[in-house]
Amino acid sequence: MNVIECNDLIKLQGRKKALNGMTFAIKAHTITGLIGRNGAGKTNLLRLLAGYWRPDSGSLKVFGREPFESLEVSAHSILIDDEMQFPATMNLSEILAEGARFYENWDGQLANGLMSYFEISGKQHHLELSKGKRSTFNTILGLAARCPLTLFDEPATGMDANVRSDFYRALLKEYLAFPRTIIVSSHHMEEMEHLFEDVLLVDQGKAKLHIGLEDLKEYAVSAEGDKQILDQFTENAEVLFEKKEALGSVKQVIRNTLSAETLSAMKTAGIKLSAVSPADACMYVTNRHKGGIDDVFENRAAESGR
Amino acid sequence: MNLDLEGLKPIYIQIAEWLENEILNERFQEDEKVFSQYKLAELFNINPATAAKGLNMLSEDQILYTKRGLGKFVAEHAKQRILEKRKTETLSQLVHELVLEAAQLQVSKNELIQMIEREHEELKGEGQ
Repeated sequence: MNVIECNDLIKLQGRKKALNGMTFAIKAHTITGLIGRNGAGKTNLLRLLAGYWRPDSGSLKVFGREPFESLEVSAHSILIDDEMQFPATMNLSEILAEGARFYENWDGQLANGLMSYFEISGKQHHLELSKGKRSTFNTILGLAARCPLTLFDEPATGMDANVRSDFYRALLKEYLAFPRTIIVSSHHMEEMEHLFEDVLLVDQGKAKLHIGLEDLKEYAVSAEGDKQILDQFTENAEVLFEKKEALGSVKQVIRNTLSAETLSAMKTAGIKLSAVSPADACMYVTNRHKGGIDDVFENRAAESGR
Repeated sequence: MNLDLEGLKPIYIQIAEWLENEILNERFQEDEKVFSQYKLAELFNINPATAAKGLNMLSEDQILYTKRGLGKFVAEHAKQRILEKRKTETLSQLVHELVLEAAQLQVSKNELIQMIEREHEELKGEGQ
């Protein structure tokens, strides 16, 4: 069963199309990593899913309903991000008590356990917390709400490495005990990819890739060696990235559509092959420039006639 | 037990290999229930779908069998199957790479065989 169905979704931000024809579906009880560059449309998408905003066109169904102004969707979903605001007069315990009142699956024991583990006092106020503690509190809220659709937008902002690693573990344990549909946007992909079943890579307002994590690991391969030899093998392959290395050799990142025989022949011909991590694969797929940042400096050098 | 999360080898294959090793070490006996995908996910801190993929791979290789609603169990002759599989797949792959590397380093066939024999002798020495 699909919890989310999104078809040709468009959302304008000023004159720019923040979402520009996004189409994908998300199965129930999966953890999906929402990956993309800054400005790719991740936050826009999450806010539409949570029903905060209305799409400009296209169709969006969450639990089979349009999420905008749907009490049903609101009661069964939660979006955690670092712009969450709470009434300034309420302390953290009171905010949690409101959570218990609103969310039917609320787990107060978990909330209290995590509050004391992370040494956050219920008497404190949200605005008094440091950036990292505020993120930690928000994620506690997100886990304890135990919503069938749980959305995290960059949940780890400001958390130190220990807290991040504890949070990832807590997320997994909660998911194992009480399966739910979880989407996490993160720039820390290499830290949390082991939790993902699928990855949704967004680029320029579109769903560029929606793929199982294990498949993403084999999506691309990096090849390094003499350019002329390498080009013979990769002539018909999709080259995602190319960089000059020392002594006439190049590094190419290519779509891994080559046969095992070809890969073996490449090795024999002295080409160095290596795996491309999921995070790097996402980076290469969404790179605007085939040579990366080096392009800017190469072009400048070319223009100034050097 | 730590998994090589950064490495080349997909995690589900590492899970399958870990289970195979546990079967070889007789931590899991024939007809005994192995860990569920959830238990494996918890143990190795991975997504349960990834763990399930590893379990399914072993079912396809007839190292595990499924009892409906009860989980996965170690098949009869699982140990022999694993050893057979490692011989045909892992070992022949290693030999392939060994020969390739030797060729690149211009190590002759005889030299290579001598190296293997020396390694054998050392291993036998340690065993005594």
